[in-house]
Amino acid sequence: MIEALQFEFMRNALFAGLFASLICGVIGTFVVVNRLVFLTGGIAHAAYGGIGAALFFGIPYIFGTLGFSLGAALIMTAVTMKTPERSDTFIGVLWAVGMAIGVILIDLTPGYNVDLMSYLFGSILAVPAGDIWWMTGMGAVTLAVTIYFYRDMIAISYDVEFARLRGVPVDILYFLFMALVAVSIVFIIRVVGLILVIALLSIPPYIAEKYAKSLGAMMVIAVILSAVFNIAGLWVAYMLDLTSGASIILVAAAGFFISLAIDLLISRRRKRAAARSRTENSPACGCGL
Amino acid sequence: MDEPVITAEEVFFSYDGVPVIENASFSVAEREFLAIIGPNGSGKSTLVKLMLGLLRPDSGKIRVFGEPPRKISHCFGYVPQDVAINRSFPISVIDVVLMGRLRYRGSSRIRDRDREAAAASLEQMGMAGYENRKIDDLSGGQRERVFIARALTTDPDILILDEPTASVDTGGQAELYSLLQELNRTKTIIIVSHDLMVMSSSVTAVACVNRQVYYHDQGEITQDMLDMGYQCPVELIAHGQPHRILKTHEDES
Repeated sequence: MIEALQFEFMRNALFAGLFASLICGVIGTFVVVNRLVFLTGGIAHAAYGGIGAALFFGIPYIFGTLGFSLGAALIMTAVTMKTPERSDTFIGVLWAVGMAIGVILIDLTPGYNVDLMSYLFGSILAVPAGDIWWMTGMGAVTLAVTIYFYRDMIAISYDVEFARLRGVPVDILYFLFMALVAVSIVFIIRVVGLILVIALLSIPPYIAEKYAKSLGAMMVIAVILSAVFNIAGLWVAYMLDLTSGASIILVAAAGFFISLAIDLLISRRRKRAAARSRTENSPACGCGL
Repeated sequence: MDEPVITAEEVFFSYDGVPVIENASFSVAEREFLAIIGPNGSGKSTLVKLMLGLLRPDSGKIRVFGEPPRKISHCFGYVPQDVAINRSFPISVIDVVLMGRLRYRGSSRIRDRDREAAAASLEQMGMAGYENRKIDDLSGGQRERVFIARALTTDPDILILDEPTASVDTGGQAELYSLLQELNRTKTIIIVSHDLMVMSSSVTAVACVNRQVYYHDQGEITQDMLDMGYQCPVELIAHGQPHRILKTHEDES
């Protein structure tokens, strides 16, 4: 691994992975505790429409994807607030519509043939240095907003009605956080692909939640886990000459299933301990054994 | 006569076209100890959310201290139902209570004096020493105390508790009622329950809810109120004195 770092593309891949970890750990915590994984998936997929639009209209790629993902985020958030019971259907529809628009617009653009795979799994080994600066900036903004609104974020996520009674501008902050999610996704997709984004947004916070005593601790643990998955995944990809994005996802997934297995063991041990203390303490038998 | 703190005039509310509250008119006096009772699904929680301004009536008017409830929502200390809270959320007891100091007197930051106030409320609820425990590791009764501490931290004029005794044992209920009685000296208290056991001599008014609201500014349940749609709960039959159930219960203890 160390000798691999003499290559600039490897160093860039490592930095990109670490910044993606920082953003995903913080944003992903918000996404997971608010049960927004599906909505976030919808935003990421709808952003594909932006790639098509950017090619078709000849505008820079970043404006197309930002436009589509922000638009999708705002509409989906509004619908989720208005009718929470059926919002998943609506999100599913926008998800598909965004991708379909992307495919059709690419069809209609002469001479272009965009590789869907690189959009899905990204190309972390081909990250240009300029993108790393974008991600650094995005990471700084994400951290600043989260730290400034930390208490409000807790209140909105934990008990939104109470937050409303306290005069917290719930709707505005909700849109702000979702816009942050949308913008983060766009920058990270460019680097690691949308499937890796969803994996990094959901798996590390899910594991972290079980061991964290506060939202902040959950974010820190999620960032660390995410960084570990990234580095380990890159290392596996380098050693075995595999696709890096998919390797990182499988390493993260392995972490996910190991954490489930540990949960199972712990709960079994607790049950057994409880059963043992019951038999030890119960005087019901009295046969002297 | 004191000015009423809450007034409702011909309030209607429906969810997706299904009427939940119909033609509710009543007024809650200052330092009233109001019990809102009614069977499950009768609209009790909806009525509370209308008073809090979390829901808007389809028609009719609700005023709190003469203002629309949304404008003075900070006057309320609200203890929601335990089941309404996001479970498995990683949050410590102290962070839950500090939510009560959000935007306190316009300040958007949590300061040392907010932490002191939060610790004092926990102390008052007998939960000192639990500050750094994860809320999910507490028992239902302990969680309830933390939510009440959070409501008290807001220094409310009106304290609203939605089914606070659902997860509290009988001893805990008695304790809770003596605490509420104490708080009632300075605050208006509104308590929601589908369980008539909650009532005590401290209750000064009863609202029976079954889509319509029957308001009685006396702290006891009469046969009339039960006839108006309340399904006779087990406790009433057990005590055998449906007209004076509350008094009976008090005398026993």
